[in-house]
Amino acid sequence: MSARLVPRAGTPDPALTELRAEVRAFLKEQIDAGVFTPGIDTWLTRWNPEFTRALAARGWVGMTIPVEYGGHGRTFMERFVVTEELLAVGAPVAAQWVADRQAAPSLLKYGTEEQKQRFLPGIAAGEICWAIGMSEPDSGSDLASVKTKATRVDGGWRISGTKLWTSGAHHADAFFGLARSAPLDPAHRHDGLSQFIVLLDSPGVTIRPILSMSGDHHFNEVLLDDVFVPDDLVLGQIGAGWEQVTSELGYERSGPERFLSTFGVLESLVHGVVDGSVEPDTRIGATIGRIAGMHRMSTAVSESLERGENAELAASVVKVLGTKTEGDLADLADEIAGYTAADAHLAELVRAGVMQRPGFTLRGGTSEILRGVIARGLGMR
Amino acid sequence: MSGQDALQSTELRDFTQMLSEVFTSGDDHRIGEVVELDRALWSTLTELGLDRLTGSEESGGSGAGWREAALLLEATGGAAAAVPVAENDLLAGWLLETVGLDVTPGVRTAAVLDADGRARHVPWARFADSIVVLWESPQGWQVAEVARGDVELVEAVNLAAEPRDHLRVDLSALSGRDVPAGVADEFRYRGALARALASAGAMDRILELVVEHTTARVQFGRPLGKFQAVQALVADLATEASLAHAAADAAVDAVLAGGFGDASTRFAIAAAASCAGHAASIVARNAHQALGAIGFTMEHELHRHANRILSWRSEFGTVSSWDAELLAAAGEAGDVWALITGGPAR
Repeated sequence: MSARLVPRAGTPDPALTELRAEVRAFLKEQIDAGVFTPGIDTWLTRWNPEFTRALAARGWVGMTIPVEYGGHGRTFMERFVVTEELLAVGAPVAAQWVADRQAAPSLLKYGTEEQKQRFLPGIAAGEICWAIGMSEPDSGSDLASVKTKATRVDGGWRISGTKLWTSGAHHADAFFGLARSAPLDPAHRHDGLSQFIVLLDSPGVTIRPILSMSGDHHFNEVLLDDVFVPDDLVLGQIGAGWEQVTSELGYERSGPERFLSTFGVLESLVHGVVDGSVEPDTRIGATIGRIAGMHRMSTAVSESLERGENAELAASVVKVLGTKTEGDLADLADEIAGYTAADAHLAELVRAGVMQRPGFTLRGGTSEILRGVIARGLGMR
Repeated sequence: MSGQDALQSTELRDFTQMLSEVFTSGDDHRIGEVVELDRALWSTLTELGLDRLTGSEESGGSGAGWREAALLLEATGGAAAAVPVAENDLLAGWLLETVGLDVTPGVRTAAVLDADGRARHVPWARFADSIVVLWESPQGWQVAEVARGDVELVEAVNLAAEPRDHLRVDLSALSGRDVPAGVADEFRYRGALARALASAGAMDRILELVVEHTTARVQFGRPLGKFQAVQALVADLATEASLAHAAADAAVDAVLAGGFGDASTRFAIAAAASCAGHAASIVARNAHQALGAIGFTMEHELHRHANRILSWRSEFGTVSSWDAELLAAAGEAGDVWALITGGPAR
């Protein structure tokens, strides 16, 4: 193969190692002080605004947002390192996640000057929370089929429809609502879509909880009933929603949250092997090897994003492999330790891992669809 | 350097270009037979200084490092080349230089002998002019070079019909040179890394064959590649191959940064061997599934690569032994994440 699907990673930068050490020391302090208990899938399930603001005070939220918008003007790789550290330890980062990962880059790329000034400083301060307004009851990975409708009115748009699986919408300030602003043309399904900044306290917005099978409330159904969005809250160009959403998905798929969601389980299993409470199963070692490889791949994708390259294919590779591995790890822990594990913390992580696992390989684009993306990248379709 | 592709230097680009001209995939003249040393290719490698790529220049080598060796090994893997590059240069040549023995021109392999002077599954032994052996005597670890004629040899092959002979050497007749115990350890890591790199190259070639086949072959009125189930098979193959590459790259970088004695290098090599070993299952299985019975035949190129990656993963340690080593390293480190990132403990 002349070109690799995932580029080769560069040599490690000592400055990044230093940053890792700083973040580690901070996180250890926070755990020791009882601010949080390490968990599983915490970028979805652990919403802790105080912790997010504490991170922001250290300059570790909105890192890549330019200084003039309240950010820290740091590199994508610096952000990557901080992100990895937060995930590996299982810190409660859901409150900042979507705002930091997707909303900020999209606002920077497509937002107006006014929109940037209005939202970015709050995101960097850890005070503005964002959700994702893509999926719908009849439209999961197939975003071109969204039915939410945007109708032109005086001074803006009226939006009606239902968004589903909007994690954290009950806490969030806004989402980018993907809506059809022109009738569906079956020959050009990707045309006629637009993105709107929907403030979730707008009249006509109803947010209803959807409990996940563990009984926890992360998901929501967001009903948009003739919600008015003024022209100055249109994101990017009317009709260019597909292209914008695709670029947003690049950020959503490439990150270390796609292989580190259950990392805490692995640490606990290894500790169990050391203290003799868990059998030394070689599959634990194999998982450590895979995650070491994925850390490397995810690093390479971040470097690629930093260079401004299109990382869609490489990100899909990492997401397919990573979400399978983090899920397999949850199952492995269940098989060899179980929810009956003597170590109460491990038992809790096992339970959380098993309950969250089904989501890993579907959120952000299902593995089945992403395999299609990879096959296209290989020239098969 | 972060974000810079390590291969962007002009020298490495030229080197990669040369390799692509020397190693061509697809041709094979050894169908149905035990794979023989490709003497013509070996002569070319010797002329180009690729047979002893990492040997010191004083000893007649090319003075290159593991970065170049990695590219060479990937190329030999991709071409299913029948030449003992890893054995001659990275094992035998390295051992001779370690003990200060001359490296005269020739074809070499290397083996670790047991207390009876035996070694099993020694690569290419029957075609070698000499074998550099490493054994533990009562006085400690020793290295010596033994002429092919002075070795008892029982021919055997691996799954890919590559020579993997069983040897017996009369230890009492050997006069060795002392080496520290670490050399025997390093032997295994070097061998495993060489195999992981060659496997990554072979997996690339397998992927290429599978993509060619599934885009060309029409069944039920459309190319196989249009079936989602086939796309899934191939995508999984491709992702596993990518992981094997990433882990092998990381191991090479670790070698360059810290040498083989470093604990983080050994961890990285164990991870590379583990990833390549597990990937081999999925890559071989899915490739055969995608090619149907066509790939299963002697005429087709696929089995040459698939059987190699399946064989290579159990040389210099089984997959499971590397998994166990990873777990043990994690237990020792205490902080698994620090081990993976090579950073400080939390």
